[in-house]
Amino acid sequence: MATIALRNLVKSYGKTDVIHGINLDIADGEFVVFVGPSGCGKSTTLRMIAGLEEVSGGEILIGDQVVNELDPKRRNIAMVFQNYAIYPHMTVRQNIAFGLYTSPLSREQKDARVTEAATMLGLTPLLDRRPAALSGGQRQRVAIGRAMVRDPAAFLFDEPLSNLDAQLRAQMRIEIKRLHQRLGTTIVYVTHDQVEAMTMADRIVVMRDGHILQSGTPTEIYDAPANVFTAQFIGSPSMNLLPAAEVEGRIVAQAGGPLLAGLRPHDLVVGAEEGAFAISGEVTAVEPLGPETLVHFLTEGRTVIATAPARMIPAIGSTVQASAPRGALYLFDAASEKALGRR
Amino acid sequence: MALTEQGAPAGRPDRPHVFWTMRRRQLLWVWGFLAVPVLFYGVIRFYPTGHAFWLSLTDWDLMSDPSFIGLDNYTRLFADPQFGRVFRNTFAYLIMGTPISLILSFIIAYALDRVRFGHTFLRALYFLPFITTASAMAWVWRWFYQPAPIGVINDFLSGFGIPQMAFLNSTTWALPSIMVTAIWAGLGFQIIIFMAGLRAIPTTYYEAARIDGLGEWAILRRITLPLLKPTTVFLVVFSSIGFLRIFDQVYNMTTNDPGGPLGSTKPLVLMIYQTAFSSYQMGYAAAQTVVLFTILLVVSLLQLWILRERT
Ligand SMILES: Nc1ncnc2c1ncn2[C@@H]1O[C@H](COP(=O)(O)OP(=O)(O)OP(=O)(O)O)[C@@H](O)[C@H]1O
Ligand SMILES: [Mg+2]
Repeated sequence: MATIALRNLVKSYGKTDVIHGINLDIADGEFVVFVGPSGCGKSTTLRMIAGLEEVSGGEILIGDQVVNELDPKRRNIAMVFQNYAIYPHMTVRQNIAFGLYTSPLSREQKDARVTEAATMLGLTPLLDRRPAALSGGQRQRVAIGRAMVRDPAAFLFDEPLSNLDAQLRAQMRIEIKRLHQRLGTTIVYVTHDQVEAMTMADRIVVMRDGHILQSGTPTEIYDAPANVFTAQFIGSPSMNLLPAAEVEGRIVAQAGGPLLAGLRPHDLVVGAEEGAFAISGEVTAVEPLGPETLVHFLTEGRTVIATAPARMIPAIGSTVQASAPRGALYLFDAASEKALGRR
Repeated sequence: MALTEQGAPAGRPDRPHVFWTMRRRQLLWVWGFLAVPVLFYGVIRFYPTGHAFWLSLTDWDLMSDPSFIGLDNYTRLFADPQFGRVFRNTFAYLIMGTPISLILSFIIAYALDRVRFGHTFLRALYFLPFITTASAMAWVWRWFYQPAPIGVINDFLSGFGIPQMAFLNSTTWALPSIMVTAIWAGLGFQIIIFMAGLRAIPTTYYEAARIDGLGEWAILRRITLPLLKPTTVFLVVFSSIGFLRIFDQVYNMTTNDPGGPLGSTKPLVLMIYQTAFSSYQMGYAAAQTVVLFTILLVVSLLQLWILRERT
């Protein structure tokens, strides 16, 4: 187990910088999730930590050691790839045991490790199969098993669940989280799925264009996003944003205003008792989800999403009023997109 | 009172009977396209092959009609001292040529796969011999093998004070000398195929192995080679067939006395050629082809069986 630290980490391909000097301290045993849109440099950062990608500037520390020039194998790190990277010519048992290829353990100890990992991941009945005869989720578990037997300083996961269907993904999320609770090993996990980030992370690191925009616990990020991007990226459906201005101490919607007013769809409830903030418009679409309904309506030429209680589905074309309680409004500066607090 | 039902039986409405159903139309197209190659192979390949089996049981000199003589050609062949020699030569080409050319081409492909600078140029360079006419190449190599002032190799050797080698005029060295040319001629193709195979292995396999702590050698042995096996099997079979049928290089490099000196380089195909077109013993030549066919079949099947996928 170990801490990981990034100090002014830079990566450039030729003249293009893709990581612009990021700083991050990951505590021992912490589960850190990198999120961000496609191409923001999540994989690149992870691959630099693993040693698969050369560092162009700055330092990476694992424990107290600068590992910039260390080969991947000397870093004692295990990685799970998006496409699993399990070997088609080996059985599940051989694949898992492959993680111990260079380990000095005896044969019996290695076998015991493999058996233990297989039991933990529910792979025991599949040990003698080839990967071709496994489902996507089972393959993913084999890849995790190969990483687990190593007892590494840290696990790195690069979008390990993105090839799985929604149900399996939810299940594997729990399994990885449970694995972390049991082993207590530092994990760096990359995803572009904000639900994965919210549900698994001890700490979320939001990235964009090679910069870290914000890092904090899921609640911190959700409750106090530092800027418009984070506010819209975390939370589903995305936060509504309306141009606004402050007139006589009150926030009012105003096209081209100096502020942006943000309201999360879950705070904006159709037909609630009078709240602190009210907004109305013509319904353009409804999405009944079962326990609640998402209502899309137009206000000042912008679509706003609000929620309605399950059984109350407004007709399309009708006018609805939605309101949000005090404290639910996020304010941002329209020019810099920085957060200005809530009210 | 008998019950009579009028019109079509209930539940089975009359469907207009279509002759050109979708399936038939597709079949027509499929066979329309297949007809040409099927006809071509039937007339140009399979019929003569079958005919050769029959001819091998006859005595035929192209002039008179073939006369049936049973297995005489075969008994004669197996008693022929020349056949023993030719048989050994053919297998010498196979047993040395295939492994050497495969190992060489793998090493070159493996290295080329890592080279970024001048990659395309180098690849083209290696492929060039493959598209060059065999006779032209053979003549260039003949020239290489000449004695000192003319022959490049002997010239080079004498520079180090090594005595002259007779190469193509030596009964010991002629066969290996021709084999070098043959290996060189086939190398380009094998390199290209190996490189395609190497390219098809996803890089994450290598990355995962590096993270798991494997060195280059272990990665080669545990990952690259096993994953390259289908390519290797193809090339083993393909190259073996090539060496068993070797002819061009031998014929062109020993024109004065094809297969010489003293038959020391003569492969089976050359013997067949001479029996048929120098001695005009068509029946006897056909028997030799049948033997060659059998050898090719047995060797290929044996290789496929040994290299089969074990699960
Ligand atoms: N070999 C390369 N040469 C040049 N640019 C590259 C190279 N590899 C990656 N990049 C660039 O680096 C940036 C970051 O890539 P990276 O793979 O880290 O994105 P990511 O955040 O993992 O995205 P995704 O969610 O799609 O996987 C991208 O803009 C990409 O175009
Ligand atoms: Mg990525």
